[in-house]
Amino acid sequence: MIELLRYLGRWGLGVFQRLGRGHIFVLYVLAGIPGLLFRFRLVVAQMWAVGVLSLLIIVVSGVFVGMVLGLQGYNTLVDFGAEESLGVAVAKALTRELGPVISALLFAGRAGSALTAEIGLMKATEQLDGMEMMAVDPLRRVVAPRFLAGVLSMPLLATMFTAIGVVGGYFVGVGLLGVDDGAFWSQMQSKVELRDDIINGVLVKSFVFGIVVTWIAVFEGYDAVPTSEGVSAATTRTVVNSSLAVLGLDFVLTALMFNQ
Amino acid sequence: MLDQNGNHSRAAAGEGPIVEVRGLSFARGSRIIFNHVDIDIPRGKVTAIMGPSGSGKTTLLKLIGAQLKPDAGRVSVDGVDVHRLPRDEVFEMRKRMGMLFQSGALLTDLDVFENVAFPLREHTRLPGSMIRTLVLMKLEAVGLRGARKLMPRELSGGMARRVALARAIALDPMMIMYDEPFSGQDPISMGILVQLIRQLNDALGLTSIVVSHDVAETASIADYMYVISDGKIVGHGTPDEMGRAESKWVRQFMQGLPDGPVPFHYPGAGYIDDLLASEEP
Repeated sequence: MIELLRYLGRWGLGVFQRLGRGHIFVLYVLAGIPGLLFRFRLVVAQMWAVGVLSLLIIVVSGVFVGMVLGLQGYNTLVDFGAEESLGVAVAKALTRELGPVISALLFAGRAGSALTAEIGLMKATEQLDGMEMMAVDPLRRVVAPRFLAGVLSMPLLATMFTAIGVVGGYFVGVGLLGVDDGAFWSQMQSKVELRDDIINGVLVKSFVFGIVVTWIAVFEGYDAVPTSEGVSAATTRTVVNSSLAVLGLDFVLTALMFNQ
Repeated sequence: MLDQNGNHSRAAAGEGPIVEVRGLSFARGSRIIFNHVDIDIPRGKVTAIMGPSGSGKTTLLKLIGAQLKPDAGRVSVDGVDVHRLPRDEVFEMRKRMGMLFQSGALLTDLDVFENVAFPLREHTRLPGSMIRTLVLMKLEAVGLRGARKLMPRELSGGMARRVALARAIALDPMMIMYDEPFSGQDPISMGILVQLIRQLNDALGLTSIVVSHDVAETASIADYMYVISDGKIVGHGTPDEMGRAESKWVRQFMQGLPDGPVPFHYPGAGYIDDLLASEEP
């Protein structure tokens, strides 16, 4: 029993120490962001790596998620004779939930894991130590541009995912199942709201997810044990922790934004 | 004698040893790495820090570079206690130190030219043409001007260390710390590195600290040597003095004896007891 308590105590202390380190870490990173305004090319290079190179998986997934929504939505709505509302159903589902959440999960798997592995390997190969000894702060030179690039890329990717998803739903609903073209777009236009659905649903949510996923990714890489096993474990933790964080935060944000 | 800012009273550059280590103690968990160690690194010389693997040689360099903090004691570089400096002043101090890591620590996403240009681009506002000239001069000094377009993955181990050396001297530092520069090198690369360390030290008026366990190569270029073992300095002197030292520790290390104060067997239970014990590892 005492052993169990000791184990729980050690585990709890470890968790809180890591949380503390993570928060101090992000404060240092945030302090480095103003300096990036004068070296924005560093951020642009990282936006290419974490944003543009994630486009393929975002676009392909967006098409298929939209197509599935179109098919399932049609099958449900047609029983009530409301298949003309398919455009609204697809758009609302994508803007409020599936767009930001799925693109954040994909982002964590594609870009988050890559960020962790890259920074972890830089640590393992003494590149970060080397920078420190050259009087270059790796938090400002390496971590801050990646963090900012991730935070800026996430809303753009979520917007892209949502837009492509609507096209996928249109293709199945209108193109294959015969829903009226005009009804699909006009109902969507009248029911989808700029503030609730686009700004809150897509942009704010994905901005918050971008902060959390990128924070976890860069911290796990920087805090990784500098061995191949340590980097591997850190990469796994990035995907698991950021996915759980996205799903948990989605509930909180949804409750705050859409609870009537 | 320290003043109120933690600076040594002989703070003026050019006086006394460039690095003074006094009463240094450092432990990792329960393992004591240094136990009240004193070291002086003289200016303008090549000083070797030698000792068996795991004796804390690399840790000593990290303590001098303020990447680690000692548990007790003081490390002064050019008269300044580096562990009492605020972070931004530590970074200013590091601009005057170069360090060659065992792996080279080249930035893998930059080619050779950009690796050497990196500290210049980060710390100066020199025009591109001048940076190009400076980089080519540094690369010429290490014999790799022709390799400037290669990526780190295309370099051999010896070439990577020479590029790292060119990068370390890019900002014209007052001292360079070499962490195991000869380990894993073929005889030609080792000969080149040995020659480069000595020549650069003399030509640029540097102070060099070479951490190594390659006795012959290091002794051939060092002006002074320290041997570390078991958390303390077990011997120091010129290479000739060290070759004639009476200390068992120094003799074991300098002559490469397999057993002695540093035991061949890692401490453990008795051999017979272990063989007769159960199958548990």
